Amino acid sequence: MKQLNKMQLSTWVYLLISVLLAVVPFVYDNLSMLFLIVQIFIFGIFAMSYDLLLGYTGIVSFGHAMFFGVGAYGVSIVLERSEEPTMAVVILGTIIALGIAAVISFIAGILTLRLKSHFYAMLTLALAGLFLAAAEKMRDLTGGSDGLLFTVPEFFKDRTNLYLLCLSSLVVIFFLLRRVTNSPLGRVLVAIRENEQRTMSLGYKIFPYKLIISVISGVVAAFAGVLYAISIRFIDTTVFAVDVTLDALLMTIIGGVGTLIGPVIGAGLIEYAHHFLSSELADVHWIFERWVILFGTVYILAVIFFPKGIVGSIQGFVNKRKIKKQEQFDKKQSEKDELAG
Amino acid sequence: MTALLKVDQVDTFIDQFHILQNVSFDVQPGEVTVLLGRNGAGKTTTLRTIMGLNSAKSGSVMYKGEEITKLPAYQIARKGIGYVPEDQGIFGDLTVGENMRVAMQKEDDATKERMEWVLNLFPDLKTFWNKAGGQLSGGQKQMLSIARAYLNENELLLIDEPSKGLAPIIVEKVMDSIQQMKEKTTIVLVEQNFYMASQIGDTFYILDDGTTVHSGSMDELKTNEELKKKYLGIA
Amino acid sequence: MDIIFTLTLNGLAIGMLFFLLAAGLTLVFGLMDVLNFAHGGLFVWGAYTGLWVYSLSSNFWIGVLGAIVAGLLIGAITELFIIKPVYGNHVQQILITLGFLLVLSELIKVVFGADIKAVQPPSYLDGNFALGDLTIIKYRLFLIVMGLFVFILTTYILKKTRIGLIVRAGVINKEMVQALGINIRLVFMAVFMVGSAMAALGGFLFVNYSGTAFPELGIEYGIFAFIVVVIGGMGSFSGSLLAAILVGLAQVYFQYYLPSLAIAVNMILMTAVLLLRPQGLFTTRGVSTK
Repeated sequence: MKQLNKMQLSTWVYLLISVLLAVVPFVYDNLSMLFLIVQIFIFGIFAMSYDLLLGYTGIVSFGHAMFFGVGAYGVSIVLERSEEPTMAVVILGTIIALGIAAVISFIAGILTLRLKSHFYAMLTLALAGLFLAAAEKMRDLTGGSDGLLFTVPEFFKDRTNLYLLCLSSLVVIFFLLRRVTNSPLGRVLVAIRENEQRTMSLGYKIFPYKLIISVISGVVAAFAGVLYAISIRFIDTTVFAVDVTLDALLMTIIGGVGTLIGPVIGAGLIEYAHHFLSSELADVHWIFERWVILFGTVYILAVIFFPKGIVGSIQGFVNKRKIKKQEQFDKKQSEKDELAG
Repeated sequence: MTALLKVDQVDTFIDQFHILQNVSFDVQPGEVTVLLGRNGAGKTTTLRTIMGLNSAKSGSVMYKGEEITKLPAYQIARKGIGYVPEDQGIFGDLTVGENMRVAMQKEDDATKERMEWVLNLFPDLKTFWNKAGGQLSGGQKQMLSIARAYLNENELLLIDEPSKGLAPIIVEKVMDSIQQMKEKTTIVLVEQNFYMASQIGDTFYILDDGTTVHSGSMDELKTNEELKKKYLGIA
Repeated sequence: MDIIFTLTLNGLAIGMLFFLLAAGLTLVFGLMDVLNFAHGGLFVWGAYTGLWVYSLSSNFWIGVLGAIVAGLLIGAITELFIIKPVYGNHVQQILITLGFLLVLSELIKVVFGADIKAVQPPSYLDGNFALGDLTIIKYRLFLIVMGLFVFILTTYILKKTRIGLIVRAGVINKEMVQALGINIRLVFMAVFMVGSAMAALGGFLFVNYSGTAFPELGIEYGIFAFIVVVIGGMGSFSGSLLAAILVGLAQVYFQYYLPSLAIAVNMILMTAVLLLRPQGLFTTRGVSTK
């Protein structure tokens, strides 16, 4: 009962924050800032999809960019080839993109999920590399390294519309994924992450679970790619680059693995800091242009000292205090009992 | 007589599993101390804990009056403890000679003398000097492992189930050789084969569920049918 | 006939570079069960440090020495501060070494600048000579000689010295090596440093071959190291030489005859090996299940 209340409470808090965020474009119309926040929403979605893999199954993928890229290219190519960019075309493009991502993540999952962690990491790295190479070679379809420039329906050109679309996507996906991770399926996943052998010995066939998660994760990542392409109206092969995967990795690790909300916070921090460091502070000192050094170092320290990230560490702290309080409560209770006895 | 090795109230965890609980025993110099008990009683973990391959969470291991509980395995080995693991730990791709050479910390006369002595004890090793360790028979692997553990100035050998998986005639051979090693060094032996254990052992300790439950001299145990039945499953 | 000869020679030369890049990775993996994604970072640091020393001293061989020293030093730093804290945890190892690769690559830009640098090997290694009807590019021949030299030297050390013996024993059973009184951590450290130095040497020799150096070199070529290591069998030193030659030849031949597949061919090869024969093509020993 108590657990349920807690869930409901956090749901209300998240909804309240969402409403507050939804008001932002109406009271604050700094275009570049709004654009930055849209990017944060998009990468928040992408990072959540990564967290689903890393945090709930313990799989380290170095090829997550391939789903992001498939989503981005899917919708871009459909839009670029259509005679007139209508809403229907966007929806069709999105469906095609997500469908392809689902098929690819399913096949890739079947091929690779049985491998040990470092083989998996290497193979996904190679697979994403193949997509990058293919995107560069198939110039007719992708425009190669020149990229694709395309127009989108008027609706998406409006910053406020785009903002609200990305925000609502983030909120809906967050709640959907939370549903998945709080379900019995989610609990099996956490058990897999904690101890694969033991989960197996409990009679769970873990492979189908990993596969389901890998497909959901791939589709969500592709959706983030779709939003990205629509928001920029231009894409090139860099959407397949390792950097994209690394961004998601950084956001997830710094925000908090296995917390879903953590990666969103991580996305906010990193996108903002990236923007701030490279546009504002770069004039102060050129070292800030090399923000990867700073983030890489923070990331390395986080892996060693705060493997739970921001949200995970806070949760750990709160839980510890709760346990302490509970212990004190128990102690008092038992003292009372003793006195009464 | 002071004990060569003193294991005192040792607790060992492997992951979250509490494998050893309050294990205590003494090993007197020159004796063969046998650890008995069922599968899973914690005998192997006890040897591994002494060797520093599993770390004790609490309790102490003293060797020659010196605390070695928290030392890394290589330092414990250098103090003069040799280890013959259950799977013999042969380097399969290395030749018999190379297996021996890995173990040689020094190349002085004393080591050479020891080498000569073990090669006389196990002439097979000389015959197959250039054969890959992985291609030896089970008994030969066992001999190589024992010989290797003896090469350095070890005063204590920890031998884990030397009879395991060997044909009875080979067990006799291995037993013979351990009898002869006994003249040279102190031995802690883990053994399921009670006949072998009773032939070689001087003192016994019985482990059950990760703790030492009985001890005494081997002669006592031979006649104590009740104890044998209860802990060792011997009718 | 000419073209076959030229392609083969070129494939062998590239294969030797891949071998230098992969050899350290495979040894470290075999001995320590650590997959170092930062290995490519050593490649690029070796390249830049070597070039810097080379330009200061105007002596190619001092450049080679500079690259090796840089590799030893950065290898030691990596082992102590990056690998050691997460020892035994694969997921953390993967995460942290990849982060370190990024930092290493980015630091190149800070120290040496972000622009692409042109590189010129010394005149006595530049150009070509004729052997009958065949034209041989000197530097490629030089690469093959260097690669073979490193291979033979390392093989000699592994087979004939005590430290080599310990390394070979450690690959098979680390625990037993420790139980025989050997401090395996020191051995790890040494192997890690030597492996890093090989990658650094490979980097310096590579940029003299390709003619350009750029900071993303490590990220771009690191993947070849993994391909070679997987194909050769993780932990197999001689396997990595054969695999590197195979990958080099495949690269060169496909580039010539089927250029559209050139990028993909080696990744497909690796994927196939991982799925069908995860212990590698050139090893008889199975992969450990640990």
